Amino acid sequence: MVSRRGLVTGPFGIALLVLALLPRWTSDYHVSVVLDVLMWVAVTESWIILSGYTGYISLGHSAFFGLGAYIMAMTWPQLPFLLGIVLAGVLSSVFALTIGLVVFRVRGPYFVILTLGLTEFILHVVVNLEIKLGGTVGRILMSAPSLATLYYAMLATAAAAVVTAYVVKNSRFGAGLFSLKEDEKAASALGVNTTLQKWAAYGISAFFPGVVGAIMALRHSYIDPYNAFDPMVSFQVIVMAFLGGMEEVEGAVVGAVLLTLVSEALWASYPYYYMIILGVIMIVTVKFMPLGLVAPFKGRLLARAADGSGAGA
Amino acid sequence: MDLTRILQVLFSGLIIGGIYALIAVGLNMIYGTMRLLNIAHGEVIMLGAYVTFWLYTLYGISPLVSVVAVMGLSAALGALICRWIFFPVISTSKSVAVLESNSLLIFYGLSIIFTNISSLLWTTDARGYSYLTEVVHVLGVPLMKNRLWALGLSFFVCVFFYVLLQKTMLGKAIRALIQDKDASLLVGVNPDAIYYFSFSMSFALAGLAGCLLSMFYEMTPFMGMPYTITAFIVIVLGGLGNVLGSLLGGILLGLVETVGVSLTSPGWRPILSYALFILIIVLRPRGIFGKGVY
Amino acid sequence: MLELLRISKIFGGVQALVDVDFNVKKGEIAGLIGANGAGKTTLFSVIPGFHAPTAGSVHFKGENVTGWKPYEICRKGLVRTFQVVRPFPRMTVLRNVAIGKLYGKVRLRDEKRAEREAYEILEFVGLVHKAHVAAAGLTMADRKRLELARSLATEPELLLLDEVLAGLTPAETVEAMNLVREINQRLGITIFMVEHVMKAVVGLCDRIMALHYGCKIAEGTPREIAGNPAVIEAYLGEELEI
Repeated sequence: MVSRRGLVTGPFGIALLVLALLPRWTSDYHVSVVLDVLMWVAVTESWIILSGYTGYISLGHSAFFGLGAYIMAMTWPQLPFLLGIVLAGVLSSVFALTIGLVVFRVRGPYFVILTLGLTEFILHVVVNLEIKLGGTVGRILMSAPSLATLYYAMLATAAAAVVTAYVVKNSRFGAGLFSLKEDEKAASALGVNTTLQKWAAYGISAFFPGVVGAIMALRHSYIDPYNAFDPMVSFQVIVMAFLGGMEEVEGAVVGAVLLTLVSEALWASYPYYYMIILGVIMIVTVKFMPLGLVAPFKGRLLARAADGSGAGA
Repeated sequence: MDLTRILQVLFSGLIIGGIYALIAVGLNMIYGTMRLLNIAHGEVIMLGAYVTFWLYTLYGISPLVSVVAVMGLSAALGALICRWIFFPVISTSKSVAVLESNSLLIFYGLSIIFTNISSLLWTTDARGYSYLTEVVHVLGVPLMKNRLWALGLSFFVCVFFYVLLQKTMLGKAIRALIQDKDASLLVGVNPDAIYYFSFSMSFALAGLAGCLLSMFYEMTPFMGMPYTITAFIVIVLGGLGNVLGSLLGGILLGLVETVGVSLTSPGWRPILSYALFILIIVLRPRGIFGKGVY
Repeated sequence: MLELLRISKIFGGVQALVDVDFNVKKGEIAGLIGANGAGKTTLFSVIPGFHAPTAGSVHFKGENVTGWKPYEICRKGLVRTFQVVRPFPRMTVLRNVAIGKLYGKVRLRDEKRAEREAYEILEFVGLVHKAHVAAAGLTMADRKRLELARSLATEPELLLLDEVLAGLTPAETVEAMNLVREINQRLGITIFMVEHVMKAVVGLCDRIMALHYGCKIAEGTPREIAGNPAVIEAYLGEELEI
């Protein structure tokens, strides 16, 4: 009998195994590509925990990515690698929780606007600060860890993000999140502390992008405010989440993989076309597949599994 | 600080404030009537700027003339997007929350598409042109003619809009729809017509702003986003859905920014406006003018 | 159990409530009547914490809960239903009710247990056969049942019912009235209800308060209310059949 749990943990475990063994089998180039995919999976999955589960669309999630990158830039190589990336994640969460105190006091539209400007705002603050502190805006990170190390770190992060998204979705906390997404007023009438829930989701969702930003800073050995706080990062995450299915844990994975394929094909030669296609995908998905790719399939898959085993779903 | 300097700063603030007011009024119309957040608003400004630029550079048409064409084209774009993209989404959205988030994402997609199409067509190099740069002295303050025109035009349009909203049947219908959709349906307001009008008007105002801005600022395909953010800050200042509040809020923000930048440095502009935004949200989320200034 | 002391509420220049005093005793069914715009729904927004009163205080079970957030008041045992029902549209009926179990006064940790207890509540209100239907697909009468079920899941001691009978057919109204009676008598839940349907108010309530333009104009048993000249005058031209 195929239990619901089995359907999920089986493929997940196998995927993890395959990915863990990847560096032994293939070239650096392939490892590099997969590392990028894992990066998008991690950030998108985190975004889903907030925006997919609560409906509060964060248009500025790259702020946490950039923060993580800068925290790494400032602590490397004084702090060991693992400590550095975890610290980046933690501080990123702390930052989110701090601004969350302000941001969640108000209604949905304000949140969106705030997040939109957030990345720009931080960008300008960082640029101004960097000029004051050092005169230049870029930072170099020397002697970064090997590709394999970075790869495994990213794999662990992505796996942790996926697990977190899954655990949250199926927990009591997740039920509260979804209830406030459906109807915030009704949820609070039933005893859901909606402000606390949103705030917590925000904090959780900032952790992994922080870690990822730190890892990527080492990956490229160089950061500057413009590529650390790139609004295109925010946008790609949202397209991936939406394409895959904003409320589905698998949605982040599916969206990230598909879009990375498209970008591999287009980004180098036709970056503008790539972005235009992303925009079109976004609009088309909203019009025709607002639930994303995964959700309709999941329904059918679960129904078939239930039928096959003879037991109820 | 001598008087001339102070007046200069104030004039600058009014000039940019007038443009902010135009941008914000447009954005707020769509939000007020349809509860949609148009994040692509800045990109329409950008397109307006580019169209004005090309009309001037290629055909020598003065921006003060092409402004009409730019507004018309923008309005048409708005109507098309309203009809082909939004009406279908509105009818298939199962709840208000879903509609809001879906439309947000659509506008976001449009914003990216516009930005990258113009990068593709016109490269990312900054463009600009000189027009009406002769200086006149107003109250002892040297001002370029193009800025005076911008000031005059934006105030004229703002006043026109104010009158439209307050005195005409159409304006009253719009305000009614913003205040209470169900009640206005009952009294015979035609929502679809208003939605078309809101979209077209919003885009037209953005196009106008772009045209005016092109006269004295350089343009790039990425210039839009900061204006979108500014527009949002203004409508929060003036109250979401409060079109008249946007008029006043735009001018206020323009003044605050200009005065603030003159005391610090240009790099501080976004920091200042953002700080103001956070202050308002925390202290007075309904905006400075709150509800009831219709 | 519930004490309202000189509740006043001003909304943007309009005085919606003026010095309203009222008590609801434990175990009774109290009613609130008044013309449209009299302030009934405003009062029902103030009591559970959706709006703070401009003046006055709300006391529940001896504690001053004025200014508390809705979720805090819910956890204390006071729950409201909404006049325009607000189901969680994409969740199943069962899940809707389970949220009440997970987050109401009880705040169960175990989801399976929450669903089991939710199931029992659905049996009580008569919605079991629709347990796995998405709430968006329910009829109006069933939505009202769901609204009730969800509130019951939070294990309230006082239930505020805001026009729960509106929009029901006569047959459905009778069923709903019976259900309200059951909730009060079998489950021992105190009820404070806003209603327009006079037959229901009179048939169910032990005591009634009448509001008119935000002021309390009368208070008493159904009989006293029906005979009260101020009430009759306020309702002149409206149906007030006992």
